[in-house]
Amino acid sequence: MAPVQLSSTTYDADGISAVQELYHSNGWTDGLPIVPPTADAVQACLEWAMMPPDQLIGIEPVRGAAITAEKLAINAVMAGCLPMHFPVVVTAWMAMMRDEFLMHGATASTGGCAVLVVLNGPIRRELGANGTFNALGNSDRATAVIGRAVRLCLINLMDVRPGEIDRSTLGHPGKYSYCVAEDEEDSSWLSLSEQRGLEKAASAVTVMAAGAPRQIMNEWTTKPEEILETFAAEMRANLRHYSIHPGNYAIIVPKQLREHLQAAGWTKTMVAEFIHQRARIHRREWAEVGKGAVVRDRGDSVYPAMDSADQLLVIAAGGPAGGFGAIIPPWLGNKSHAVTLAIGACVDCEPPKT
Amino acid sequence: MIIRVLDPTMEKGAPIGQPAPRLDTLKGKRIGFISNGKEGTKGFFAHLDRMLREDYGVAEVINRTKSNYSAPADADIVAEIKGWDALVSGIGD
Repeated sequence: MAPVQLSSTTYDADGISAVQELYHSNGWTDGLPIVPPTADAVQACLEWAMMPPDQLIGIEPVRGAAITAEKLAINAVMAGCLPMHFPVVVTAWMAMMRDEFLMHGATASTGGCAVLVVLNGPIRRELGANGTFNALGNSDRATAVIGRAVRLCLINLMDVRPGEIDRSTLGHPGKYSYCVAEDEEDSSWLSLSEQRGLEKAASAVTVMAAGAPRQIMNEWTTKPEEILETFAAEMRANLRHYSIHPGNYAIIVPKQLREHLQAAGWTKTMVAEFIHQRARIHRREWAEVGKGAVVRDRGDSVYPAMDSADQLLVIAAGGPAGGFGAIIPPWLGNKSHAVTLAIGACVDCEPPKT
Repeated sequence: MIIRVLDPTMEKGAPIGQPAPRLDTLKGKRIGFISNGKEGTKGFFAHLDRMLREDYGVAEVINRTKSNYSAPADADIVAEIKGWDALVSGIGD
C-alpha cells in the first residue's frame, strides 16, 4: 500500500529537544513532552484504522470546524498512541461531537470538567487496558494515552487552551487524561456498554462530561443498602456543595464492595434504582452550606441527582482490595449527556433496505 | 538529526464566522443583547443598556436571554438578529 498523502504543514526540527520546544512554544501541548508526530507514525495510525487522511470524522457544531482523521491522528501520536489505540480516539471524538454531548459548552465552561472516557468490550484486552489496580489513575499505557489524546485534540483542534476557549476556573487532573477500562472479567454484572444497549461482543467507548472523582470508603458492612448509602451520601454532598441539577453521574465500584453487592444478587439496575431513590436533597439544605440566598420559597422542593435511574453509569473497576469507591459527578446537570458508541460502527450509514 | 513533524492544529480557520461590518455611529440604531442569563450578566447588560441609550443615542436596546447558557443561542433569537443593527453577545460571567 502506497503511503497516504498528508496535507498538514511540516516543520523541520533539529533533534528531539527542538521538537519539544517547537510544540511547547506554539501552545500545542498539555505541558508534558510529546511524541514527535512524523508522517510515518501518523500514516500508520490511519492505515490501522483504514481511513484516508481527509476522512471527515465530524463537524464541530458551534464553529463549523471539520475534524479529519489526519488531525486526530497527529494529536494521537503526540499523546503517545500506537496505531492500535487510534480507533478508540476516533470513536471518542465521534461521540463527543454528538449534539447531546454539547462539546463546546462542556469544554469551554468555567465549571472545568474533563471528558471521562470509559472502555468496554474485547478491545480493552487487545490494548492491555487495565481496569483493576489504580483504575482512575495511571493504571496502564492504553488508558493513559487515549485519555491524553482526547485532550490534545481539544487543545489543538478546538483551541481549548486555558484562557482561550477553555475558561475553567479550576479544572482538575483528569484534564490530562481521564480514561478507565471496565473490569468486565472479574464481574458478573453487565458491562456499561451492554447496560446502555450495545452487544457484549462490541467494543465500545462512553464519553461523559465529568467532574473529578470523589472517593468514598465503607469497609464495615456487607449489606448492599449500607454500602450504596455511602455512595448516595457523596452524591448528596455534591448536590449540596456543587450543583443541584440532575444529570449523568457515574459510580466506580471496585471488587471488594462489588462482591458484596453481587453476592446479594444486586444487578447494576438494582444499584442504580436504589441510588436514584437515595441521592436527593431538599432545596432548603442549601442554607446549611452557605447558599441560603438561592433557597427562596422553594425549600421543600426535592432535587434528585438523576432524572431517572438509567442516568447513573455504574462501572466495575478498581484494585482487588479496599472498601473504596468513587462517584463522578456531571459537569452541570443535563447540559451534557453521556454518549456510548461502538468502535468501528458506521453511525451515519443508512439502515439496510428491507 | 532533523526530525520532520506535522502541524497538529486546524491550520485553516473554521468556515463560519466573519466579523460583521462596523457601524459608523450608534445614534438611532437598534442594538440587541444576547445574554447567557448568568448572574454576572445582569448588572453588566443593565449598565450597558443605559449607557448606549443615554450616552450614545441608541434608539432601542433589545434584551434576549438564551435558554441554555452553555449552548448556542436558540433559533428564535437568532432569527431576530437580522432586524438589529448590532449585537452584543459572548458575555459569560
